[in-house]
Amino acid sequence: MRPPNEIDFWRGLALVIIFIDHVPGLVFESYTLRAISVSDAAEIFVFLAGWSLRLLASSRQMRAMDGFHVILRLESRAFTIFAAQIVITEIALAITAAGSLYLENPLLLEWNNAAAVFQDPMEAHIGLVLLSHQLGYFDILPLYVVLMAGAPIVVLVDRYAPRMLMPLSLAIYCATLVSGANLPTWPVEGRWYFDPGAWQLNFVLGFVLAGATGLGGFVRSQREAVRWLAVPVLAAGVIAAHYGWSPDPLSLPEPRLFLMFDKTYASPPRILGLLAIVAVFGGGYKYISTWAHPLAVFFSKLGRNSLNVFCVCSLLSLISQFVRFWLGGGLLTDTLVLLSAIACMYATAWLSEWRERIKP
Amino acid sequence: MRGIFAALAVLLGCLVARAQDAPPPLSPQCEAPAADIAAPAPLPHLADLLANKSAAVRILAIGSSSTWGVGASSRKKTYPALLRNILEGALKGVKAEIVNRGVSGEVAQTTAERLRTAVALDKPDLVLWQVGTNDALARVEAGDFEDTLRSTISWLKASDIDVVLVGLQYAPKFVRDDSYTAIREALKKVAVAENVLYVSRFDAMKFIAQNQTGEQLISGDDLHLDDLGYECMAEHISRAVIANLFVRRRDLPKPAPPAPQP
Repeated sequence: MRPPNEIDFWRGLALVIIFIDHVPGLVFESYTLRAISVSDAAEIFVFLAGWSLRLLASSRQMRAMDGFHVILRLESRAFTIFAAQIVITEIALAITAAGSLYLENPLLLEWNNAAAVFQDPMEAHIGLVLLSHQLGYFDILPLYVVLMAGAPIVVLVDRYAPRMLMPLSLAIYCATLVSGANLPTWPVEGRWYFDPGAWQLNFVLGFVLAGATGLGGFVRSQREAVRWLAVPVLAAGVIAAHYGWSPDPLSLPEPRLFLMFDKTYASPPRILGLLAIVAVFGGGYKYISTWAHPLAVFFSKLGRNSLNVFCVCSLLSLISQFVRFWLGGGLLTDTLVLLSAIACMYATAWLSEWRERIKP
Repeated sequence: MRGIFAALAVLLGCLVARAQDAPPPLSPQCEAPAADIAAPAPLPHLADLLANKSAAVRILAIGSSSTWGVGASSRKKTYPALLRNILEGALKGVKAEIVNRGVSGEVAQTTAERLRTAVALDKPDLVLWQVGTNDALARVEAGDFEDTLRSTISWLKASDIDVVLVGLQYAPKFVRDDSYTAIREALKKVAVAENVLYVSRFDAMKFIAQNQTGEQLISGDDLHLDDLGYECMAEHISRAVIANLFVRRRDLPKPAPPAPQP
């Protein structure tokens, strides 16, 4: 196993924050990243996924691959994520059904956009496999599947025309925000919660900024200046988040999505908020590792096994919703819910690594 | 000849006025006292649109499972689809364009985030926000629920978009549920404070359940609406909307008599 490191640490922390954000009403939800930024842990997670893609693309094995094998390698990863999404969705439906049966409350079958599956199973199951029907809070992995399916384009453009990558990504992002284009959902009419055309910018930014040369290299060489530039942006985010301020979408000039604080379209203020967090806190790991080493080890372990931990985290958040319905919310219940969930996430990470260790 | 045209115009005017002034009658199965359906509140933007003879009204129906239509036998039997037919029948010459953005099981805070984007992209004249049931089930604090509602409603009002709050559904097992009661009270409180139309599904459904013996608004599981339930929901909302268009009209100052010809 690779030793604790900054990327795994932040990714592990993002996973715990995602858990808290996915249990509506949990008392700790006022104390997550949302409290100090217009961005949240989902942005960090996708950004770090792009960063990890850079680490993979820079590996000796990947650099030795021709284009065809790069495609095969990354599409097989996309398929693994797709399979994970299908498995956790099916388990989530079973949890929902079991919760509804045990608590004798059919209304619980409607939670998290699950109603269509129980009401209209034929269409909904087609939608689940096509990713056009996503359960509420189970909508990040479908985005990740699309991003990973498009990852060969990122890696190959970077390999053969690196200067084209950011302009290409920005062009897709701008076209998406100008047109409002998004993938449709079906059978429940609507749009994807995370628009891949917009969110790919977060992913590509992670990939580009992780690079040793180009934009990544330049930013790294100007690290202190960038950090000071980011401080006022971060401060503005803290104030906006604290006072719940966001611009009135209807008073903004067209195209409005460029100035809104919109999550679905990863609007520029949210991307700026993310970059400010990265600029200010990036590199802070060395202090955490020095002064709070057990925390660095703990969160790195979660982040190192992020897909497995994310899957369990998603299911735990759903179970926690049922627990809160059953027992009622409150500081005691919510603290127990959070501690149990973190323990389960850690156990998942430990088990994943143990399985790797015992492989012959 | 001119006199005949004038008489015809008056007659036509009376017919149009009659069609618009009288909300369509409720089906016998959906009868409930007006006070149990909604308290009067103005819909100023919609009233202005209709007064200016606007031919189309854009409506955003947002919320959770009752908006999406869990339990309906087809997409044509959901409440937004039925509401469009009723409104177009009652408001002659007006085309009602309804976008259904129901996501089952969603709490108010998540819907509020979607609502802002949907409003910015779809630019509706009226928002029908069905809300509360899932917050009660998820044990969301009534104070947090109130804050979410208030900030969203204030923004809609400031943006000249009318909003109708459609409340929690009635289910006998929730009559004594503390969380359910707290969220219902919070919803009522916000509607009064913000002076927005609040369709209290709970009271109307309770009245029907207790007085209309033999009528089932809820399917076999005792919780989901069935086709008749959605029919009644659509009738109650459209009745409240149409009746309250004239709250505003009655409140308007009477036009001054024409100045005498010199």
